[in-house]
Amino acid sequence: MPADLDTLARHQLSKVLRDGPEPAAIDPDGDLAEAYGLTSLNKILFLTSLCEAADVGLASFTDDDLARMRTLGDVVDALRSHRPERQEPR
Amino acid sequence: MTESVINRIVAERPGLDGNLIVAGLGGRRTMPLAEFHDQARAVAGALRRTGIGEGDRIGVLAANCLEWALLDLAALMIKAQTAGFEPGKFVPSADLVDRYGLDLLFTGATIPEDAPSGARPIAEISAYAREQPAVLDPVRYGPRECTTVKFTSGSTGVPKGLEATVGSIDSSLVAVQDMFKHGPGDNLLVFLPLSLLQQRYWLYSALYWGHDLTITTYQSVFAVMPAVQPTVVMGVPAFFDAAKRHIEGRTGDGLDAATAAAELFGTRIRYLWTGSAPADQATLRFFNDAGLPIFEGYGLNETCIATKNHPGAHREGSVGQPLAGKEIIIDDDGVVCVRGDYPVNTAYTYAAPGESERMFKPGGVVRTGDLGRLDEDGFLYILGRADDVIVLSNGKKIIVRPIETRFRATGAVVECVLFCPNQTELVAVVSPHPGPVDTAAIAQALGAVNAAGEPDERIARVVVADEPFSTGNGLLTSQFKPVRNRIRERYHDRIHDQRQGIHAG
Repeated sequence: MPADLDTLARHQLSKVLRDGPEPAAIDPDGDLAEAYGLTSLNKILFLTSLCEAADVGLASFTDDDLARMRTLGDVVDALRSHRPERQEPR
Repeated sequence: MTESVINRIVAERPGLDGNLIVAGLGGRRTMPLAEFHDQARAVAGALRRTGIGEGDRIGVLAANCLEWALLDLAALMIKAQTAGFEPGKFVPSADLVDRYGLDLLFTGATIPEDAPSGARPIAEISAYAREQPAVLDPVRYGPRECTTVKFTSGSTGVPKGLEATVGSIDSSLVAVQDMFKHGPGDNLLVFLPLSLLQQRYWLYSALYWGHDLTITTYQSVFAVMPAVQPTVVMGVPAFFDAAKRHIEGRTGDGLDAATAAAELFGTRIRYLWTGSAPADQATLRFFNDAGLPIFEGYGLNETCIATKNHPGAHREGSVGQPLAGKEIIIDDDGVVCVRGDYPVNTAYTYAAPGESERMFKPGGVVRTGDLGRLDEDGFLYILGRADDVIVLSNGKKIIVRPIETRFRATGAVVECVLFCPNQTELVAVVSPHPGPVDTAAIAQALGAVNAAGEPDERIARVVVADEPFSTGNGLLTSQFKPVRNRIRERYHDRIHDQRQGIHAG
């Protein structure tokens, strides 16, 4: 299991997407819905899986937070703010 | 039919236990149904104070929330009609208020400065609900009175409005209850928009039969389910397809399907409900095999629930037998017609000329436009669509021909055929003019077509065919009509690849 949040998020997103793209190839600034076809249903599945894998409580987020997560980068930033105690590898 | 469900839930505070749970990503609120009933009575009193009463109409344009449910019951208590508008599909404009004769419009959307005075934030309902429950004049509904207007896609793209009779609501609720026996201990989960009347049925059911009801949103449902542990989930095929893929992913991680399903749906599922669009048989089998019985049904806005598989009568591949009070007739063209003892209505209230006559026939019969057959035991099998209709995952039906015609009319392409690969967005495959493809002109035409259509009719992408459709390449019939299935097969990969094609701006 990848330790750093960015890699973890890429892996989890790749698993949710229908065509399972190479995690490293996912553009962190690409719109999850328009560029990757992530539906609302799959978006919450992605976030649920990622929160579990990253040990971040899903209850930390609201529906409005979810709506603001438009890119992979947004998701990673949102989760990072909820696990400040971890030092990510550089 | 015995006692009217609607009349009783309006008149009587629920005597049985049972809770309303409103859940989102950020948390949940649980309220006894008796308290909910009191709050609705307070809201009804406040509405009466503002002059709203019998014969008035209240529009609701908001995502699922407690206030929506309170408004619905409050309106029933004072015989005001509701009109539910799905967020994102409508805006709280003066045109909406005028077009549908709204006396008030409660909305969760930002109210524009030029909105009519009747447009109010739905948050106001919370304040009304905290008032003392009002003493209201008793109301009683006859079976032909209508409580609400529901909207359904029209062939012109403008939603048709249909008022629903109390008799049809009561009849459907009682028939469904006979099949599934919801009661104390059950927790029915609703996440589809409350603007769809059928989703509000489960609120009425909870008030009458004393089960719990969880209301959440499409965006949050997968996060909410394991926390609230529903016994029944009211879904649509796209939802169950997404769940299936997720569970399959988890089995790839080493979990067995039943455990992975319980992880997603909770451990108390009694059954899953699917309808609104044809379900993939493999998906139905998957859930049944995983220990979550799933039952498919059939019905239109105009018929309400017409047939349903259920624990007592279930046949794979079918959409079940008719509900009590409903009869299925296959006409000479093979089209499914539904006759109801208590029809939803006999005409649209808002529709283009001729629309009502096309759908509603004498004797309480609705000609659905779907092709079907009945087996020897009366199970209905849907064979396809008489018209070319795409059903989105939100349950909205898009009639594609007018949109395709609009694209052709731009002159940028020779032919246009629409598909809906994931039930959420439309993808066009267009036949270009011979010679070099003018991508800019097609992109411009795409923008114009989308600007002219309703929000649900938006084309997300255009795949330009490698060569013009022709009889020679098998993509046109001898009458030069596009052969939809062959076009779908030929361009399958590009239709399904979100990165392909010309994207809408």
